[in-house]
Amino acid sequence: MTAYVQECRQEWKRLGVPDLLAEEMATELESDLAEAQADGVSATEILGESDPRRFAAAWASERGLVAEPPPQPKRTRRWILIVVGVIVLFLVAVIVAIVGLFAAASVSVQTSVSPPRPARAFALPNLVGLQACHARRIALGAGLRVQSIPQGRCHAIVIHQSPGPHQMIPFRQRKRITVTFRLRS
Amino acid sequence: MQRMAVESRRSQMLRGVLDLCLLAVVLDEPAYGYEMTRRLRERGLSTVGEGSIYPLLGRLERDGLVATHREASEGGPPRKYYRASPSGRSALAEGVRAWREVRGEVDSVLATIEAEVAR
Repeated sequence: MTAYVQECRQEWKRLGVPDLLAEEMATELESDLAEAQADGVSATEILGESDPRRFAAAWASERGLVAEPPPQPKRTRRWILIVVGVIVLFLVAVIVAIVGLFAAASVSVQTSVSPPRPARAFALPNLVGLQACHARRIALGAGLRVQSIPQGRCHAIVIHQSPGPHQMIPFRQRKRITVTFRLRS
Repeated sequence: MQRMAVESRRSQMLRGVLDLCLLAVVLDEPAYGYEMTRRLRERGLSTVGEGSIYPLLGRLERDGLVATHREASEGGPPRKYYRASPSGRSALAEGVRAWREVRGEVDSVLATIEAEVAR
């Protein structure tokens, strides 16, 4: 099952899910699968989906951690685009053939694949209940700014965080947000 | 083949109300993912069909219908617990009302073929 979770991690990375949220989901899944296995419950019953990448993408998408796919063009518009594309390709081929005949030049066509769109916003992780230094590490890992932890309070438990858990933060503004903690006295 | 068709139909029917079932099992007491599966099973829902509860939990969390917190676990990393939020409670009440209405209407239509089903 570790392989399944590992593939999920890779898919979340590919989709641009912030590391700490991907880690949170992976930990949750790993713990649940281990407990299910101990209960004699099959992983299929828990996951329902045998393809880890599809499962990971669905989970991240439902949590709002990946950009929504652009709306599909209407079927008629799609046909028009296909026809126009074929005509353009045909014309390009004719031009290339003519140029090739007269100039004996070679033409190379480069294709590019656009990278996956990164997340536009992400929900702040719930750091309440964690030890101060651990919580700070997670927040720093997400690219946020964090208040410094007073000396000797590294293991104190976070009882409140600001901004609060699950608050949506625009991805580009994360470096301007400072997370502060209230620690258990 | 017929069994697969039945499973597929069951899965489709469940898809519309599984969120309500999840909210129902964390209404009074929070639970982590697998514990929710266990509670569903205890209440008679043994399989949730195609798909999994996790994407659905993600949606409930995004929509603010569940609140989450972490709790230490025995020997492992802290577990993530889900609990129905106040808006989750309202959504559940509304969803159950809608479900009962639809169920009643469909039952009224299908009741006429009771004899066929029994055969």
